[in-house]
Amino acid sequence: MNVLELKNVSYMYDDGNEYVLKDISFAFEKGKVYAIKGRSGSGKTTLLSLISGLEKYKIGNIIYQGKELNAINLDYYRSHSIGIVFQSFNLLPHLTALENVVLSMEINHIKENKKEKAIQLLEEVGIDQTKANRRVLKLSGGEQQRVAIARSLSYNPDIIIADEPTGNLDHETENDIMEIFTELAHKQNKCVIIVTHSKNVASQADIVFELKKSSKRK
Amino acid sequence: MYIIKNAWLSLIRNKGRNLLIGIIILVLSIATCITLAIRSSADQLVNSYNSKYDIEATLGMNRDNMMKDFTPGEKPTEDEQSEQEKPQMPEIESLTVSEIEKYGDSEYVKNYYYTYRFNMNANIEKLSSSNSDDKRMDKKADDMNSGDFVVMGYDSYESMSDFISGKYTISDGEVSSDFTSDSCIISSELASSNDLKVGDTITLISPNNEELTYDLKITGIYKENEEDSDSMGQMFSDSANMIITNKTVSEVIRTLDEDISMILSPTFILTSEDVVDSFSEELANKGLSEYYQVQTNLETINSETASIQNVAHFAGVFLIITLIIGGVVLFVLNMINVRERKYEIGVLRTIGMTKLSVSCQFVVELLIVTFISITLGIGIGSVLSVPTANYLLENEIESSQQAQTQVQQNFGGPQGEEANRPMGRDGGRMNGVMSLDKVTSMNAVVDIKVILQLFGIGLLLTVISSLSAIVSIARFSPLTILRERS
Ligand SMILES: Nc1ncnc2c1ncn2[C@@H]1O[C@H](COP(=O)(O)OP(=O)(O)OP(=O)(O)O)[C@@H](O)[C@H]1O
Ligand SMILES: [Mg+2]
Repeated sequence: MNVLELKNVSYMYDDGNEYVLKDISFAFEKGKVYAIKGRSGSGKTTLLSLISGLEKYKIGNIIYQGKELNAINLDYYRSHSIGIVFQSFNLLPHLTALENVVLSMEINHIKENKKEKAIQLLEEVGIDQTKANRRVLKLSGGEQQRVAIARSLSYNPDIIIADEPTGNLDHETENDIMEIFTELAHKQNKCVIIVTHSKNVASQADIVFELKKSSKRK
Repeated sequence: MYIIKNAWLSLIRNKGRNLLIGIIILVLSIATCITLAIRSSADQLVNSYNSKYDIEATLGMNRDNMMKDFTPGEKPTEDEQSEQEKPQMPEIESLTVSEIEKYGDSEYVKNYYYTYRFNMNANIEKLSSSNSDDKRMDKKADDMNSGDFVVMGYDSYESMSDFISGKYTISDGEVSSDFTSDSCIISSELASSNDLKVGDTITLISPNNEELTYDLKITGIYKENEEDSDSMGQMFSDSANMIITNKTVSEVIRTLDEDISMILSPTFILTSEDVVDSFSEELANKGLSEYYQVQTNLETINSETASIQNVAHFAGVFLIITLIIGGVVLFVLNMINVRERKYEIGVLRTIGMTKLSVSCQFVVELLIVTFISITLGIGIGSVLSVPTANYLLENEIESSQQAQTQVQQNFGGPQGEEANRPMGRDGGRMNGVMSLDKVTSMNAVVDIKVILQLFGIGLLLTVISSLSAIVSIARFSPLTILRERS
């Protein structure tokens, strides 16, 4: 069953004069890793922002679990149903790895065993307790990205989206991160959507979508 | 709850960022504290001035009304000028005791007293100056009684305003505190020309009937302050032939000789300065002749407090300007702050924190900074405000203490240690003499109310300056950080 479906979505920024996305239709299922490829400027990030509800679509439909995305509370959606991982990790630098994960849980009103759960999540992505209690700025890029993934999992969302999650990481680390993502999809039945330039990443995905740069004038 | 926790974490781990805001709020609250201290000591000064002066209403001549009756319907022209110069005033009925009592029985009157003034002969020699008309002699009293001496009857130290003001001072003996005794004080000129001293007795003789006499014991000798004297070029001061005694003596003399014309001058102590007009109206309704008009000492009082009120006013304006500038600076700082924290806002928003919660966190952060700074500021400010207030009060305290001692000396009261003995009838306070105390503790100037006000102002400033944060948080699109590369 599709957890998320895009139907004929077209998108143009308010201040743009051409469609960034034109008539896109994709369907996403749980338990699979999706890779979205495309040249720079083809609208990959734009697509993710629509999926994550950071931007509102105007043409076409995005359906999450049978409901029109525009009709549901997007703050709630972002904090419960979808986890976002960025290329630049986007952790709060003044907090420790553990605190970053716990804060995300608190925003989601998770009450019980936050700390234990966070430590467990961090261990699953390969961050041990000493590193968990370090300020994130004192962690390596790969480690930070693991923390970001742990954070995106903290409230157990159905969908994980990642915008070039390995863009700042070396090949080896990229493989480690991809391993985490595939495990999430295959063992924990998440829907993982990864935007990437990397052939390596795309090759490890179950399904690859390609965005063609739309050059049509409106 | 996590919002507060998060605010706290973000605060203590970004100390530098909040330091500037903290310092500004600190400075603002110290300034506010001191300003409030200045205001409150100014208020204290004004209050003590206001209690120093009772609002006294006396009855004076209404020359306009008298003139109107003198030349009814006619406008004086140039030709009539010479006639104008020596106008013949219409007869004015002197006030009687019962009239004064009737006027004094008013809701506007706190208290009242009256003095007697009449003319008598005595068994001593009158001093006559080269200019033979004694200007100070009341024309009417002069004509009818032609007594040699002016006798004044007072009923308290308080009513002896010329002694309080220092126009007359006791040079020997004292003014008896028993205002019912058969005592009097006389001028030093009269004393020396008649070879009289404290303890001697003089006899007043009715100008109408030489059989009627009254003995008075001299308890004090007074002299007229030369600066205040308007007897320039005369051999003797105006008051040379004035015998000062008390009300009781005056009343007894009147029962002895009903023909003696006595002029009663009442002084009404009014409840507040707002009632002057009402009191005036009431007197007219009670039948006071339109030749009289109510005169007050309001002008004197207000001129004394004007400069202090200016200080208080200036302090208030200063405070408002400080707060406005402070508010603007805080607002701008917050704007810069929020700009720097866009990244943080973006992260919080993308992981699902609502705009409201993010705004709350920022406001809470600012509130914590404000609270700490204001608390510190009050501490420092109140320590500084005590010397500030005292500095302002210093001169006034000194002069008020001098004034108190001075007045006691004017009456020939005890000096040195004993000089602190209270004088006057209501607990030592005398009109025109105030008592001021030095501020010793900070709660004298910075009280709970002031502190609450300060926190209120701080809260308001916080809310206003966090508006900038709230607005940019509301307008911020988390998308921007999605586009950020490292
Ligand atoms: N806020 C915006 N307003 C107007 N145009 C925008 C805005 N953001 C992006 N665009 C434009 O939309 C197009 C797609 O941008 P987008 O960031 O989605 O591409 P991308 O596929 O993610 O590229 P890259 O691989 O370089 O990250 C670009 O031409 C970009 O200039
Ligand atoms: Mg992109």
